[in-house]
Amino acid sequence: MGKSNFIGFACAYTPLALVHAAGFTPCRVLPNVDCPDQAAQLLHDNLCPHVKRILDRAMSGNLPELEGMIFMNSCDAMRRLYDAWQIVRPDVKTIFVDLPVTASESAVAFFRDELQRVAGILETWGGTAITREKVADSIQQYNQLAESFGRLRHTVQNGGVANGPVMLQEACNMASCEVPEKAVGYLETLLAKPGIQPQEDGVPIYLFGNILPEPEAFSLFEACGARVIGEDLCTGSRLFKKIAGDTSGGTCGDILLDLAEGILSGQPCARTFDGSQPGRLARDIVAEARSRNVRGVIGYTVKFCDPYIARLPGIREALKKEGIPFLFLEGDCTMRSVEQQKTRIEAFIEMLR
Amino acid sequence: MMMEYFANLEAGLQAAINNGNASPRKLYALEIARLGKRLYSGQDKVAWCGITAPFDLLNAMGVTSCFVEFIGAMLASTGTVGTFLEETDHIGYSSDACSYHRAVSGAAIKGLMPEPALLIGTTNPCSGGLAVLENLADQFHKKLFVLHIPQDESRENVAYLAGQMRDMAGFVSDLTGVSLDPERLKDVIGHTNEARAIMAEVYDLAKTAPSPLTNKELSNFGIVMALFLGTEASVTIAEAYRDEFSRRITENSVDAKNEKFRLLWIQNRIQFKNPIEKLLSDSYQATIVIDELNDITWEPIDTDNIFEGLARRSISIPFNGTIQNRVKHLQKLALEYNVDGAINPCNWGCRQGTGARGLIDEGLRAVGVPVLNLEVDCIDSRKFTEGQFRTRIEAFVEMMDSKKA
Repeated sequence: MGKSNFIGFACAYTPLALVHAAGFTPCRVLPNVDCPDQAAQLLHDNLCPHVKRILDRAMSGNLPELEGMIFMNSCDAMRRLYDAWQIVRPDVKTIFVDLPVTASESAVAFFRDELQRVAGILETWGGTAITREKVADSIQQYNQLAESFGRLRHTVQNGGVANGPVMLQEACNMASCEVPEKAVGYLETLLAKPGIQPQEDGVPIYLFGNILPEPEAFSLFEACGARVIGEDLCTGSRLFKKIAGDTSGGTCGDILLDLAEGILSGQPCARTFDGSQPGRLARDIVAEARSRNVRGVIGYTVKFCDPYIARLPGIREALKKEGIPFLFLEGDCTMRSVEQQKTRIEAFIEMLR
Repeated sequence: MMMEYFANLEAGLQAAINNGNASPRKLYALEIARLGKRLYSGQDKVAWCGITAPFDLLNAMGVTSCFVEFIGAMLASTGTVGTFLEETDHIGYSSDACSYHRAVSGAAIKGLMPEPALLIGTTNPCSGGLAVLENLADQFHKKLFVLHIPQDESRENVAYLAGQMRDMAGFVSDLTGVSLDPERLKDVIGHTNEARAIMAEVYDLAKTAPSPLTNKELSNFGIVMALFLGTEASVTIAEAYRDEFSRRITENSVDAKNEKFRLLWIQNRIQFKNPIEKLLSDSYQATIVIDELNDITWEPIDTDNIFEGLARRSISIPFNGTIQNRVKHLQKLALEYNVDGAINPCNWGCRQGTGARGLIDEGLRAVGVPVLNLEVDCIDSRKFTEGQFRTRIEAFVEMMDSKKA
């Protein structure tokens, strides 16, 4: 192991269990850190603020000490971030992981081989030898973390925790830079705290989108009268998801195949879809909203996100057909932009009351 | 509207050719008109595709196939694109998205996209194009097959993509009822290889100084020719260009005084009518001697391993993989064609291409080639600010001039 044991990542599709199995600590490089805007030197203004702000951090040296960085080939913007990173931070080793857009059998097999390649590189970076048992153990620990988050999210979304949404996002941010065993311990401490009488005064809302790591944003939603009772964000519930398969630590089965399938077939970002079920994202959002009996849906994405931009008209239409009010917000990974949306959120909630 | 447009275009071009006014560009445009007619005929089995789909394979299976961006470009060139872009505004399709894709989406809303039999998406070159294909599949209730184009040509990656292409052939067969005839495929790939070899000659001829081509002649050529691969027409068009360029070189018919500057054009041309190419040639004696996509990046396809060859070709497109690949390719073109400068029309909304503007700039500067980045929407003429472009081009030419001196 080298100077630190952090491996940076920037995408919810990153195989965290593999990083952990190699003895490293996955550390999400979040964009919501204040540093000078410099990314435009290399990347066009029309790239999403998520990648630009991560590049700003890299250029400013505003990063934890990283043993390496994993980039997922999730979208054009993330590919360009990888490219720019090579120039601004050649001192930080990188892995670029190709990521299929579907979970077909051949795509899963391909991704499994990519994971095998990643495992090999992690070992050369000073990680411990990655065995089937270690990967199975790491998956189990992340499954435990996903389960703990599930319980905490349930409690928070039922209004049983004071300042719950803010605390939940803080916990998510913390867990994204911590080994799962410690993160689980922290979550269990939170779960053990005495709850409050469930508050149901806010308007129930379903929230979907991509990058919203600022706990203050959730505070803002609450302040505007919204109660987020379901969420699908890559800085939230999509980050820690349960991986199925044989994680018993035995010798049967291909654990990397299980991991690949688990990652690709989890709740998808807009960039992942099933060609035989086009438009499914919109239907999934409607189904989630219906099942939670919310009064409205808020979509929040960073600007210039092509996978969401293209799907939003379909999502808007599907929600309209079902009579579910919808508010769409675009942000730039700073609280400045969220604050600007305050009036719109308040008006939306007022309309739903 | 589009059927009428393509039919008129075909008739006009055919009449001109019959009257002895043939030119390589007219033959090329004639084939575009014929493709357009087939797409809108209502008779053909149509596949809407991503840019790196194997069009020759689809041709071999009797499917009239085309990448969707073609329609965006056509609408721009006919000057009608504004209406379709406005349609997308109405449904909340952000104007921050690529206008090629917005135009196609607008056309679909207005019923101007022919109903496909199937769709083939490709992960290369961009996320936006793939998303539009998913939307079209949803709108038409048709099935979409996605080709995941891996990032490099490793043996495993080639085998993976070749496997996907075999599956794709099965998918097409299931939906069209037409099986892939191996002998027919061999014939088609024979045409592909023939066209490939002649196109390589055409590009080689363009390296001559002074270059035998004019600024317009090879615009969009490489990317559109992919649609005709596998057909006899592709061979005929390539031959016409080769013969014409050879003649011009042999007969010394290009005046060296008209080529003060040699330029590399990055990515795609601006698709609506605009004065830039004429301005470059007439006012500044600047010739666009090479477009980024006018290059052969793939080996001839082995007719005993066709799917592997098709896979290698799709992976080899310079937009694929990391920007280092693309920059390396641009550097190679810049040196081979001995260019004085490069123009990069930074199409607003293009994350994969324009997003890397600064990286491309840096890469070409490393081989002594300055880049003019034009902030432009290559489709939406309403955003075109001619005066500003003239000023920027003038300054760029002055800079190249002082560098030469």
